[in-house]
Amino acid sequence: MRITRSMIIAVALLLAAATAMAEEKRWVSGEGTALKAEASATSEDVAEVKVGTEVTVLESGGRWLKVRTGAGKEGWVYAGRVSETPPAAEVAGDDGGLFGAGLQKSQINTAKADSARSIRGLSPEAARYAKDRGTPEVYQKALDVVLARKVGARELKAFLQEGHIGEYAQVQGGDK
Amino acid sequence: MRYLLLFALAALSISVSSASASFFDEIQKLTKPDSKEGKILSGATQVLSSSKDIDYKTERAIGESLALEGLQRFGNPVKNEALQRYVNLVGTAVAVNSKRATIPYQFAVLDSPVQNAFAVPGGVIFVSRALVSILEDEAELAAVLAHEVGHVAAKHALKSTQRAQLLQGVGTITAASVGGDKGKKFASAINDMQGVLFDKGLDKEMEFEADAAALESTYRTGYDPSAMIRVLQKLQKLEASSKNKKGSWFSTHPPLAERIARLQAQLQKYPGYSSLASVRDRFAKTAR
Repeated sequence: MRITRSMIIAVALLLAAATAMAEEKRWVSGEGTALKAEASATSEDVAEVKVGTEVTVLESGGRWLKVRTGAGKEGWVYAGRVSETPPAAEVAGDDGGLFGAGLQKSQINTAKADSARSIRGLSPEAARYAKDRGTPEVYQKALDVVLARKVGARELKAFLQEGHIGEYAQVQGGDK
Repeated sequence: MRYLLLFALAALSISVSSASASFFDEIQKLTKPDSKEGKILSGATQVLSSSKDIDYKTERAIGESLALEGLQRFGNPVKNEALQRYVNLVGTAVAVNSKRATIPYQFAVLDSPVQNAFAVPGGVIFVSRALVSILEDEAELAAVLAHEVGHVAAKHALKSTQRAQLLQGVGTITAASVGGDKGKKFASAINDMQGVLFDKGLDKEMEFEADAAALESTYRTGYDPSAMIRVLQKLQKLEASSKNKKGSWFSTHPPLAERIARLQAQLQKYPGYSSLASVRDRFAKTAR
């Protein structure tokens, strides 16, 4: 029986290899994406993955995919956070992406948004445009406040969690 | 909803003059590269795609300047910080799952009595108080914002004017150059884009593209993507009952029926969509 058993293992390994060859590629498309230990938003983070990272799909479980990165990290990712084509590469300048220069700074900005002026607001170019056009100051100030509002990754996560949205949806339909 | 609802048909309006019954046939022709219409469209695309050379900093400067014009035209943001934060959270949630998740986005509700939403290049997105007031849940708000994010992601405003493309050769706009020769090009590009964003509206194909983007990013985020259809149906009802169409988005006759039909067909790509979140309670609490 020992031979049969090793044969089964060999066949299983071969099948796994064949499957691996036919495995599909995906690209991380959502900012702030993490691979999870299990197919659940509440499970532990295995690794953070940047937008544009290519991953191989190992397994599919409903809205969750088990994937492996080029660096060999494996974990589960919510299907909405990856796409079938690579996202356009782009550098947004000093802000460094949608979540700005990181969570800590975002939170500082959020805290300061209500008080007088922000760290980041109207760009000097737009301020110059406003000056040349004689745009009333009230609009400049209003836009400055709008531009200073930042949403941090952690704040967004809490928001989605509270609304039972996406990876935080309750199994029986979520908050409808 | 200028971006969403106003259309500049100009060069691409080949099919629009024909009866709406044959509208889809015409659109079909556009997608076939060998057809006469397809060739015209691909020619147009070549001209339009040149906006890729405008760097993000310049794009953002254009956008902020346009945003200043938009505020003067439609009114300042409503003074309700909880609502403004909420709109930023919903907008960011869909923006991270858009085709352009690497730039910062900001969202604001403007104190305007006209149902309206628009996006300027670089990621600043406005929605009117009046439009928010006809929405019923968070998924519908997410759909409107995702549609606008779709316009930003595809750089539709920049692709809409010839003069915006003149900026591609001038390098990065700086505060100093806004006052100089580059500044003249800058100001005229902004002037043209204002006309497109606030008066004429974007090209019809761009609206279809943004609608599809809205389905995709709401679905990816976990919102029921059919919310986009519900929003358009609400607008359709308003359009039918509105007596005063002048000056509003009604005046440009957006093909809401065509958009709804297209979205309904595209919805089949998203299995199990109706089980996704709508989040009615939180929306009612914050946006009502």
